[in-house]
Amino acid sequence: MATTTATVSITSSDLTPGSPLSVSASTTLMQAGLTTGLTQMETGVIDLAVSTEFRIGPLATQVSGSAHDIGSYLYLCNKSTDGTYWIDWGIHESVIGLLYAGDWMFIPWNASDDDAAIEIQANTGTNSIEWAFFNSNFVLPTDAG
Amino acid sequence: MATLTPTLTLTSTDVTSDELNFSVTDSLTVTGDTVSLSRVALSTSDLTLFASSSYSRSYVYLKNLDNSIAMDIDFGTTASFNLAAGEFAFFPWHGSQNILAVADSGTPLLEYALWEA
Repeated sequence: MATTTATVSITSSDLTPGSPLSVSASTTLMQAGLTTGLTQMETGVIDLAVSTEFRIGPLATQVSGSAHDIGSYLYLCNKSTDGTYWIDWGIHESVIGLLYAGDWMFIPWNASDDDAAIEIQANTGTNSIEWAFFNSNFVLPTDAG
Repeated sequence: MATLTPTLTLTSTDVTSDELNFSVTDSLTVTGDTVSLSRVALSTSDLTLFASSSYSRSYVYLKNLDNSIAMDIDFGTTASFNLAAGEFAFFPWHGSQNILAVADSGTPLLEYALWEA
């Protein structure tokens, strides 16, 4: 099994005068409920035109076994350089947040059902989106049609 | 107005034949409220961590400090993800629905922070 490690650090020298912020957290990407690492990784870059929706990762019905037990992780980065460009990200039809040019995010995600799909949509311009998805037991569709 | 610098690093020597060693950073401007790094013991009842009525567009950091118990992070009533033991998340939040946290069992500790853009 693969060992993949994610580390986040968050720093600020001027958020609180006299008390610099320095947070660090690290986790090994594991299969849900297990001590074995995730085995599969998909990465890509897409140019997302304004008003276009894009689904990241598989639907729950494309994941074998009990979907609730599939641990997954999602990385998204808006590589656009125009500061007025942004996309929204959400779970199914619920918009959770806005990812502006240069911003990134990293979350665990469990494919509880098809309505838990991660979706992004560009709202200004054509955004260049870098993404990576880590999981296990993702079954590639047998019928591309 | 302050500057927040988040950095993510992803590494693996064996997830593919091509070693993964990747880092991305950002420079975020914090203009509004801040919830400094804090900890709370969850229960199996919903806890409103961040109310949409109190915050606008923000950046959120969450980490499950427990070594065995998972927790659900809910966005209103229709969307959620599961934060397993030891896992963290960093994401932008629109502030359009409450963020709630609930333990799968027991009283695991959640570490959290918020910075309003």
